[in-house]
Amino acid sequence: MSKHQYAMVMDLNKCLGCQTCTIACKKLWTDRDGTGYMYWNNVETRPGLGYPRQWDRIGGGWKNGMLQPGPLPTMEDYGYPWEYNYEQRLYEGSRKPVMPSPAPTSGVNWDEDVGSMNGDENYYFYLPRICNHCTYPACLEACPRKAIYKREEDGIVVIDQDRCQGYRYCIKACPYKKIYFNEVTGKSEKCIFCYPRLEKGMVNACAAQCPGRLRFVGLLDDPESPVHKLVLKYRIALPLFPEKGTQPNVFYVPPFNPPKRENYGKSILEDPRLPLDYLIYLFGPNVKDVIVRLEAELSRAQNGGRSELLQLLIGRDAQTRYHVRPQLVQIQG
Amino acid sequence: MSTFRFFILALALGVLSAATLAQTPPASPPGQTLHAAPSGATGDNLLNGGSAAWVQIPAKRISLNRTPPLFDTDEPAAPEISTADVRIARTTGKLVVQLAWRDVTQDTATLPQVPNTPPETRFRKVQTDADDRFFDAAAVMFPAKSGPDAMAPSLQMGDAEHPVEIYYWNAARGPMLMEAQGRGTTRRTGQTFPAAAAYQNGQWTVTFELPELSAGTPMAFAVWNGSQKDRDGRKYFSVWQVLE
Repeated sequence: MSKHQYAMVMDLNKCLGCQTCTIACKKLWTDRDGTGYMYWNNVETRPGLGYPRQWDRIGGGWKNGMLQPGPLPTMEDYGYPWEYNYEQRLYEGSRKPVMPSPAPTSGVNWDEDVGSMNGDENYYFYLPRICNHCTYPACLEACPRKAIYKREEDGIVVIDQDRCQGYRYCIKACPYKKIYFNEVTGKSEKCIFCYPRLEKGMVNACAAQCPGRLRFVGLLDDPESPVHKLVLKYRIALPLFPEKGTQPNVFYVPPFNPPKRENYGKSILEDPRLPLDYLIYLFGPNVKDVIVRLEAELSRAQNGGRSELLQLLIGRDAQTRYHVRPQLVQIQG
Repeated sequence: MSTFRFFILALALGVLSAATLAQTPPASPPGQTLHAAPSGATGDNLLNGGSAAWVQIPAKRISLNRTPPLFDTDEPAAPEISTADVRIARTTGKLVVQLAWRDVTQDTATLPQVPNTPPETRFRKVQTDADDRFFDAAAVMFPAKSGPDAMAPSLQMGDAEHPVEIYYWNAARGPMLMEAQGRGTTRRTGQTFPAAAAYQNGQWTVTFELPELSAGTPMAFAVWNGSQKDRDGRKYFSVWQVLE
């Protein structure tokens, strides 16, 4: 067990699906040879295929203490990275419009804003995803090379690039499919929770760039941190697919839309805009209690009361949203 | 031609080709010993698999075993490759080992080559073509330390007192020299060694140039079948054979 655990909370009510986090991450970490198809941070439309396609339905995680490895997704499932023929258009005199190559047939957030139907109404929301830096990482257990380790000082899960041999058992075991194989280096890679930034007191790039201000970062075991408050004090943030057994350390405030019709004074549980079954599928049965708690806070604020939780969720400034403590987690001696 | 007659013909051809292969190597003495035949040919000549030099070298057919599945949930892999033929030639200061085995699928690829310029100076970066393919491979393992103590390292990559050297060849990534001190400790040294490989008529022939090894040195062999998603401990392996 790690001494401390960095965690992230994402408020899905505030996500606009702009992919600024995705680009912040990509420019910082996966703008290298062999990494074109990788998005350590991705934002996918839910309900939807996800990235890689159907990742939530192909196994991984734990069951009765045993790993449940699934099949490896294919490049088609991730989407081949395509390039645009700028050289021909800009330098070689082609008069045709710039075209992507190879012709795109799938990709990250391929089914953007498609969603699903609830009765006769369309619904969807955005789900930003990074590595969950799980407390019980299935990837770590699956690696026969012991190339994956969980940092004792802050709980961040990383792959030792010197030890990794690219066997990809970790990808099969990860229930969130958040490890990617780089065929150019022959090794696997994943989100590192921006630990080099955290060690300098800066927050993760995906959080720093988020215009929706939906990400909260801090130590789960630090009572002053926003993540501690949202997850453990107010208990309104839940992990994704808790039944996979890895105990993720990325948590989500479930999408909390008003009821479909005649919404004044009515609970969304009575007439949900997003089918409750789908939220239970993603976040487990506790999502119902979370909605009840959020509705109570909202109701208090609407009746002129003060809600510390809602103020925290609004997260006006970086000091509220982030509590990065490099001095607390540094390795002594 | 009817499907049935085609099937019979294919079966007959299969039996014939298997019989041909079985007859090809002059039989060497049975048992777990490997005969290293002195050869006047140079290492370079021997690395060429078609070299006439190899005709004089007797082959030893060794049994290959399949490792058990790593996970309980893994499907057991069918034992598709049950034997390999080993020829060993002793030449000046070198031991040249040729390993041949039947494999109906040639699992290799030309991996994207990275130009020798920094990525930030290039218009395009090299991309990953596939993430779910595995390649055929083979390896020869022997103790890193010579002497009587080196006679019986663990077949699972030796141990801390009995390190092993592994001459590994991969159909896509080529030869690499590895070392290990027990299961899970295998690491690439960053060094390479002369090797040659050919795939013809459903058979891989891979030639490894090893340093000179004294008689009595144990050697073990492994083969990975890419189409069976072999990598790591998921492979075919032989027990120790003793070099004569």
